[in-house]
Amino acid sequence: MNTVRHILERILRRPIAHPARELLAAALAAIALSGCVPNEALRSSSPLPERVNPSVVLLIKPDVQLSVMTASGLEEPNAEWTAAGQANVERALGQLMRERNASLIPYVEPQGDPDKLGRHNQLMKMHQAVGSTILVHKYNQALALPTKTERFDWTLGPGARQLRQESGADYALFVYLRDSYASAGRVAVVFVGALFGAAIPGGIQVGFASLVDLRNGEVVWFNRLVSGTGDLRTPEPARQAVDSLLTDLPL
Amino acid sequence: MFLRIHLAIVVCFALAACVTTGGSPGAASNIAPGERPEITTDEAGLWMASEDVERQLVSSGRVITDPALNTYVKQIICRLSPEYCEDIRVYIVRTPHFNASMHPNGFMQVWTGLMLRAENEAQLAYVLGHELGHYLRRHGVQQWRTVRGTASAMTFFRMAAAAAGAGYVGDIGYLVAMGALFSYSREFEREADDVGFDMMASAGYEPREATRIWQLLLAEKESSDEPDQFIFFATHPSKEERIDTLETRAKTIPAALSGSDTGTETHRAAIQSYLSEWLRDDLRNRRFAPSEVMLNRMIAARSHVPEFHFYLGELYRLRGDDGDAERAISSYLTALEMTDPPSDVHRSLGLVHWRNGRHAEARTAFENYLRAVPQADDKAMIESYLDQL
Repeated sequence: MNTVRHILERILRRPIAHPARELLAAALAAIALSGCVPNEALRSSSPLPERVNPSVVLLIKPDVQLSVMTASGLEEPNAEWTAAGQANVERALGQLMRERNASLIPYVEPQGDPDKLGRHNQLMKMHQAVGSTILVHKYNQALALPTKTERFDWTLGPGARQLRQESGADYALFVYLRDSYASAGRVAVVFVGALFGAAIPGGIQVGFASLVDLRNGEVVWFNRLVSGTGDLRTPEPARQAVDSLLTDLPL
Repeated sequence: MFLRIHLAIVVCFALAACVTTGGSPGAASNIAPGERPEITTDEAGLWMASEDVERQLVSSGRVITDPALNTYVKQIICRLSPEYCEDIRVYIVRTPHFNASMHPNGFMQVWTGLMLRAENEAQLAYVLGHELGHYLRRHGVQQWRTVRGTASAMTFFRMAAAAAGAGYVGDIGYLVAMGALFSYSREFEREADDVGFDMMASAGYEPREATRIWQLLLAEKESSDEPDQFIFFATHPSKEERIDTLETRAKTIPAALSGSDTGTETHRAAIQSYLSEWLRDDLRNRRFAPSEVMLNRMIAARSHVPEFHFYLGELYRLRGDDGDAERAISSYLTALEMTDPPSDVHRSLGLVHWRNGRHAEARTAFENYLRAVPQADDKAMIESYLDQL
């Protein structure tokens, strides 16, 4: 990863702390722009075990960020919208789980235990790496991995068991969402572009979600969302986005 | 044709509107101590994004948490700027390059390559003051507004140019806009240099050390023909320009203000236990020319420190140019004459002798290594070397 960091630093001429994140953002953008992706959710080959009791799902704090898309297409993060979007997404996830045979418990960071927090953070980062790898290599035919064509067998490793022991949850749900809205200037660019017959995107909603079995760390289900419409700033459309992202969630 | 020209006018109008709302650098007021941006502003969005980077950094495994080292750096910041002391969170990041960076929300990274190269507390204080300047002058948000405005203007300008059927004009506009981006950024760097210099001088540090740190970096940079090896320089004013400015400014400091405090011993003591680790990290860059300049500078200042001689020897051993084997051996032997040389010297000495066919010397060196570290992790490996010799 250090090499990647150095290459990015040379291109961007600034220090980069988190090449994985920068690559993830780039991957999402690339996927949003290429249209050639399967639409269905992905699941591991083995069916989920039947449960008598409702499943307990640990909701990892959804990674949500809402931005303004400026005239040139640069995205400017907006703190107020993000706070609203975060709350709407968490509420919608809670509602959806209640309607399914599952109960949702929010992940809470351990206080006063830096070692435990450190291990949790490593799991989150592991998911970031695994999730973006799935996104890049399973949703893009040109980048399909030869050893993974017929299989969906991704895992965070046995370290994920720790979350089960500490929370009592059966599964962990990870949600990553980015939403952007055109500024007035961007709307003008889109409009003028359209006059010339150029399709210029004005704001886009992208994200992915994955369900991880906390007994063994396996990613048992994965889905991604790319939409030119939608609005996470208000509750009802946020619920629609969450419904669309979690379609087919095997719970 | 009419439609094209007409559209060009419309688009140019949009361009003008955009440029005027783009925000102009230098116009922002200083951030106040304890100030937090309103949640509805673009600044709050930047703070939010910075907090995310900060969270990721904390769990990166590259942050040095040693309380003593952190206290040392933090007390410099509080001495430079008592009123902003509470607002700044410093992270010492194990990265073997000369750099420090400031995020808009008050989190600062100080890289170990800078800690290693600074000769004293005053030099480090100057760089930290420079970073504080970025924070209190709100350069992060100003730079973002410039980028946003320029990028938008570029988009409108290119559309206007395309509408008028003049593609190459668009490209000229692009170049002008990019030039503006870099010169704005240099403007910020100059401003931060000024703030850093004023802060260190007012805090009683020897102001001539600000010039000194640029001089020693310049010497390292000039030793190598590799471009842009110091990220810190990429968008910064040239070092020659900085040195001139700083020398001129140092002369204008009233004698009463000019402190003689360089904090050389404090700095050496603070980083002493990290010397080996950071020197080893530096060699991993495999940029031997600047590293050689750095190590020779350290030896010139303190020739009795065995680590400097050992790592200079390591540099020669790893580089392997003509005559480097002899240079390495000579450096190792110098290190061994000093008190408390690193035990690894014996092993490296053995390896160089062995590579040059001097088996008896190699054997002695490996045996000395095992005598110095009887429980070495690589004991079995060294024993297998001894069997082959």
